[in-house]
Amino acid sequence: MLSMNNINKVFRTDLVETTALRDFNLTIDEGDFVSVTGPSGSGKTTFLNIAGLLETYTSGQYLLDGTDVSNLSDRQRSQLRNEKIGFIFQSFNLIPDLNLYDNVDVPLRYRGFSKQERHKRITQSLERVGLANRMKHLPAQLSGGQQQRVAIARALAGEPRFLLADEPTGNLDSQMAKSVMALLQEINQQGTTIVMVTHDPELAMQTGKNVFVRDGQISKHETLVPMALASNQ
Amino acid sequence: MKTNLEFGPICRALLRNKVGAVLIALQIALTMTIVVNAIFIIVERQGLMQRESGIDEANSFYLTSTGFGKDFEPKRIIDQDLDVIRNTPGVVDAIQINAIPISGGGWSMSLTTEPGDDQDDVSTAVYFVDTHGIDALDLEVVAGDNFASTDIRWRERNQPDWPDKAMITKALAEKLFPDIPWQSVVGKTVYIGEDEPVIVTGIVDKLQAPWIGWSELENAMLSPEKMVTESTRYFIRTEPGQRDRLMAELENTLANAYGNRLIRNVTTVTQTREQSYRQHSAMIKILSTVMVLLTLITAMGIVGLTSFNVNRRRKQIGTRRALGASKQAIVRYFMLENVIISTTGILLGVAMTIGLNMLLIEWFAMTALDWYYIPAGMAVLFVVGQLAVLGPALKAAATPPAIATRTV
Repeated sequence: MLSMNNINKVFRTDLVETTALRDFNLTIDEGDFVSVTGPSGSGKTTFLNIAGLLETYTSGQYLLDGTDVSNLSDRQRSQLRNEKIGFIFQSFNLIPDLNLYDNVDVPLRYRGFSKQERHKRITQSLERVGLANRMKHLPAQLSGGQQQRVAIARALAGEPRFLLADEPTGNLDSQMAKSVMALLQEINQQGTTIVMVTHDPELAMQTGKNVFVRDGQISKHETLVPMALASNQ
Repeated sequence: MKTNLEFGPICRALLRNKVGAVLIALQIALTMTIVVNAIFIIVERQGLMQRESGIDEANSFYLTSTGFGKDFEPKRIIDQDLDVIRNTPGVVDAIQINAIPISGGGWSMSLTTEPGDDQDDVSTAVYFVDTHGIDALDLEVVAGDNFASTDIRWRERNQPDWPDKAMITKALAEKLFPDIPWQSVVGKTVYIGEDEPVIVTGIVDKLQAPWIGWSELENAMLSPEKMVTESTRYFIRTEPGQRDRLMAELENTLANAYGNRLIRNVTTVTQTREQSYRQHSAMIKILSTVMVLLTLITAMGIVGLTSFNVNRRRKQIGTRRALGASKQAIVRYFMLENVIISTTGILLGVAMTIGLNMLLIEWFAMTALDWYYIPAGMAVLFVVGQLAVLGPALKAAATPPAIATRTV
């Protein structure tokens, strides 16, 4: 599903050169739920940005679903992001002037779906996160947990094969965090590959694999037995 | 990738954040109202300024000779002067004349086609000319004949009666006798005052009156007369390129030919036209400046609002990019947003444009706006809006998608 071989990412300014990822090697199989942990500045977000085609890398090879993304144009990268990747952001990144329906609609419009198809997908994905009855509400009228659920609905509406979550519970209280985590596990069980960047070791324990990043490299790679979510229901 | 236009979401988002958009739409409406009416006024004024006077303006000038002293004999001096001027190399012809076309000052009178004081009359300017009038003024006799030398008389000061012959312009012929072809007006009798008959012996193609704002500007009559006066005006037509040289030369020649007089106001007809149309010219410059400034201010307003929105929505734009928007899609988003704002402003502007035009018609007796100014104005404002938004939209498209994962 995702294969990174000797990926290096160097940020250069006039004065400073910073290596964010150094000979980064990682393979993620279809259906995996991988957590990426590590201290601040370790390169987690850089990895996520490269994995999600939000950023290019300096050297190495990255195969996404068998496609070498090195030489893709901006337009091709946008298309690949839209079709294969769903994003969940720490601060939800919902568009405040659009209601839930229109927010979920955003990536679907870029996909070129018909109005009927979009309507069906928006309704289904909002139903899946339990917010179908609030589709005319604005994000500001929802709690943080609900907003993140909308963001998940937006990510799922295009039926991506690969979900990237950047600290998805970072702005939520523990109860809401558990609820969102349970939803992600459910999505993973239905076949979607998920990579989740998190600071929280407890959340990481609930995924199938954990990758620990330090100084731009993977320092530990372990397979986990997901903990039961006692209070997820 | 086929992208659906986000017309609905943009409209709904604008309705939730309407202050900036409404202000820009109002600015566009106001700009359209003023620009379209200003262009119409400018075109109308330019049309007035481009009207031909009928004379050879580029090669003509005139001057005033004022004699003094007991032994000053106007008739002799005038004939002598005209003889000198006409025989000067480079001069096409010259006449003594009572008024200069389009100069702002002259003589007018009313003509009727029947005697009596209860007849409808037609106003006309009157020029006193001799047989050289046609050549000096560069007129064309399109029906009838020029005056014969025996037709010319001397008009004494305060002489009330009129010669029994006259030539008139085609426009005046058509107004006096609207029911017959203008060529047939030759030989007809018209009446000055209540019952003084004058026979139309010739028709000239075109000669404007002295007053450019007059509704009867094209009505002019040539009367076969020379005036007995101490202060006389000579109208001189030169060969091309000789005018400026002859202005100085003839001023000296006339001054030297007879000492007891002043030669003044040596003026080209070109200068006269500029002077007469100065208000129109100034109006065109002012309106053009206002139009350009207003359009620039509106364009800058659009640039400002869009730039503000781009900066405010950087994270949103990054998120859209992360969700699959291409750079083109981001540009299209802002262009479409501008289309919606501009269209609102333009439609309001159409109503305001027509409203202002109706007020101008009522207050200043202007003519009604030609219909095609409206779509032309709409197109111009639309293009200005799209051009103004292009820079900020391209800047927005350059927003990196990775900004979506930044928390600050």
